[in-house]
Amino acid sequence: MTRLLQAIRSFFSILFSGRLPADVAAALGLAKAAPKPGTRPPEPPVRPVDGALQLLAILQRDARLVDFLLEDVSGYSDEQVGSAVRSLHEQCRQVLTRYLRLSPVIDGVEGTYTKVESPDPARVKFIGNLPTKGTPAGGTLRHKGWRAEKIDLPPVDRRHDLSVIAPAEIEVE
Amino acid sequence: MQPTYVIGIDLGTTNCGLAFAEARVESPHQLPTVLPFAVPQLVNPGEVREEALLPSALFLPGPTDFPAGSIALPWDPEPAAVTGQLAQKRGVENTRRLVASAKSWLCHAGVDRTSPILPVGAPDGAPKISPVEASRRYLEHLRNAWNWARPDASFDAQNILVTVPASFDAVARDLTLRAAGDAGYANVVLLEEPQAAFYAWIERHPDWRDRVRVGDLILVVDIGGGTTDFTLIAVTERDGELQLERVAVGEHILLGGDNMDLALARFIEQQLSAGGRKIDSFQLHALWQNCRLAKERLLEDGNTAEEHPVTILGKGSGLVGGTIKAALRRGDIERILLDGFFPQTSSNDMPQRRRAGLQELGLPYAADAAITRHLARFLRQQASSAEHGSVRRGPSGLACPTHVLFNGGVLRAGLVRERLLSTLNVWLDGESMPAARPLEGDDLMHAVSRGAAYYGLARLGHGVRIRGGVSRTYYVGIETAMPAVPGLPAPLKALTVAPFGMEEGTELRLTGREFGLVVGEPAEFRFLTSASRKDDPAGHLLDEVGDDVEELSPMEVTLPSAGDAGEVVPVTLETVVTETGLLQLWCVARDGRRWKLEFNVRERVSP
Repeated sequence: MTRLLQAIRSFFSILFSGRLPADVAAALGLAKAAPKPGTRPPEPPVRPVDGALQLLAILQRDARLVDFLLEDVSGYSDEQVGSAVRSLHEQCRQVLTRYLRLSPVIDGVEGTYTKVESPDPARVKFIGNLPTKGTPAGGTLRHKGWRAEKIDLPPVDRRHDLSVIAPAEIEVE
Repeated sequence: MQPTYVIGIDLGTTNCGLAFAEARVESPHQLPTVLPFAVPQLVNPGEVREEALLPSALFLPGPTDFPAGSIALPWDPEPAAVTGQLAQKRGVENTRRLVASAKSWLCHAGVDRTSPILPVGAPDGAPKISPVEASRRYLEHLRNAWNWARPDASFDAQNILVTVPASFDAVARDLTLRAAGDAGYANVVLLEEPQAAFYAWIERHPDWRDRVRVGDLILVVDIGGGTTDFTLIAVTERDGELQLERVAVGEHILLGGDNMDLALARFIEQQLSAGGRKIDSFQLHALWQNCRLAKERLLEDGNTAEEHPVTILGKGSGLVGGTIKAALRRGDIERILLDGFFPQTSSNDMPQRRRAGLQELGLPYAADAAITRHLARFLRQQASSAEHGSVRRGPSGLACPTHVLFNGGVLRAGLVRERLLSTLNVWLDGESMPAARPLEGDDLMHAVSRGAAYYGLARLGHGVRIRGGVSRTYYVGIETAMPAVPGLPAPLKALTVAPFGMEEGTELRLTGREFGLVVGEPAEFRFLTSASRKDDPAGHLLDEVGDDVEELSPMEVTLPSAGDAGEVVPVTLETVVTETGLLQLWCVARDGRRWKLEFNVRERVSP
């Protein structure tokens, strides 16, 4: 459960600030060794920030992700957090599969030896005992990486204030 | 002009679907493939997406419902109403502007179906539309969506097949056609849903002639979101060729998957409230949806889990703190679903009739939730002489199917199919008849629209057609000339004007009885029907109208006055069943002049 939480928070932290959350990095022991999701921000249809706001608003609307991430969960039991996350996880997953097509950067089996064809540091990150000169021909695949093959967000309507991630709700009795 | 495509439309109570096939046939052994059509619709404000089905939900937005410009469709920048998924979503939050289950209202004779009565709970001053208008909007959406997606093949140039429940009476069918006409449909033919499901099976099994034999009887059980529909199809032979005949259809039963999911949600709600947690109507709705998902998961083939969690996330911005957790257990599903809706009853157990008395003005939901009892009554219905012995019956008179074809979302669950089949087979065993076998259908969600498209091909001469004819017996009521007793209506007799099974493209004249119509004044005929009386020949007079005959909307005709107002013209009645299966009644004068009787749904309002 903790790992799932960390993964979700890391994804958004990297998406929006380009950094892992400090506590996650600490929890993993070594920030540099943490797998770095290779997703780039979605192609901006209007302004770079619009796509980010839009995706965040969708994740809040369909999965209530912002509510969850901004809630102080320290006081709740694992079971309580777990039952909320189950539904949240399902919804977030649906959003990811509906609006983005994610695929591994290297489609291999983690833990096996893998050759690296094009050693672009943005695509492949070498870790461990690297040679002092040149690039290694391969190594053990630790994380397949992720890349967004396709982003299919609805068109942005600039007439509306995109900074509103979720509207306030008022129930008329 | 030869159409490019045949288009089958499933106009469902909870979902609409569309399938199509090329109308061009290269070889009689190789029919064109029937393809589903994904329906573009608003799924969120500002987001149009193609979805497999169009939810039959209509939302009549007010100024505060959606941001400006966010409900534009590719073919309509400012629609007056939202159709489909977004309507469903927003309707949960603002129920007073949501029109749902319009189709169930379309066949409800207790209300004026052409006057704006939906949404039922809408306050005075809020927009309302009629059930016919709601159906028009769904059909219109499908037409516009097709024209947008297929600009090369105009919808109006294609052959369109629209399905209706087999239990729809002549009035509801007429109103469905009227809605289609209002939506701009030019070439429409109606088809009964269970027949469409059977056509879908034929379409998937080109070798179907090897799978059934002469004398077989196929029971089609169609349990959708809102209605349950039964049909019997007999396999007969003519000139050495296998033929299919629809020999019986059931009464209209307003009972479906939605009722079952709500029963599960109510059960969980009770459990929560016993534990001190109260939920409100929004949360109940979320619970309803989650129970449906949990049920589907648990009943998936191969799932052996004992329970599935059901959670309702907290309201407000606190999510974890307010989360309510419960679990739907397999045992509870089996108890509520199977024992509540599919109990193992005997074939003599008949459904409980609705208690007389004051009823809330709403949909006439089935009083008895036990679908097995409704099935028993259906199989015990009066045998028809038109059956020509083609219906296998046991010693006690129970119709004994050899095969069962399941259709509708509820029957995707193997558990429910097995319970229905095993209950039926116990009955058959009691009649010393061999057990019925299931026919393997697939894609139970789209079978009806696919089957309708196949029927479109069959009508062009490229496939087998099920012979059916009129699915009920129809009567004209004649008030007896007895001295009036204060407080009691005059006794009614019923004259058979359309016998059960009267075939498409035929007509008959009832010369035995003349009616005197006054020129220039509307003449009204009381119109009655029975799904279970199948042996009344045309012209037969029922001296007493029993429980098995129900009254429909009256029919009306006005003879045009050409100067001689007040003149009485003697007419006889003539019944016509059109090629498209529509029942028409005509008044024919002695000199051959004819006037068509029209349904008057406005007259009949709930007492």
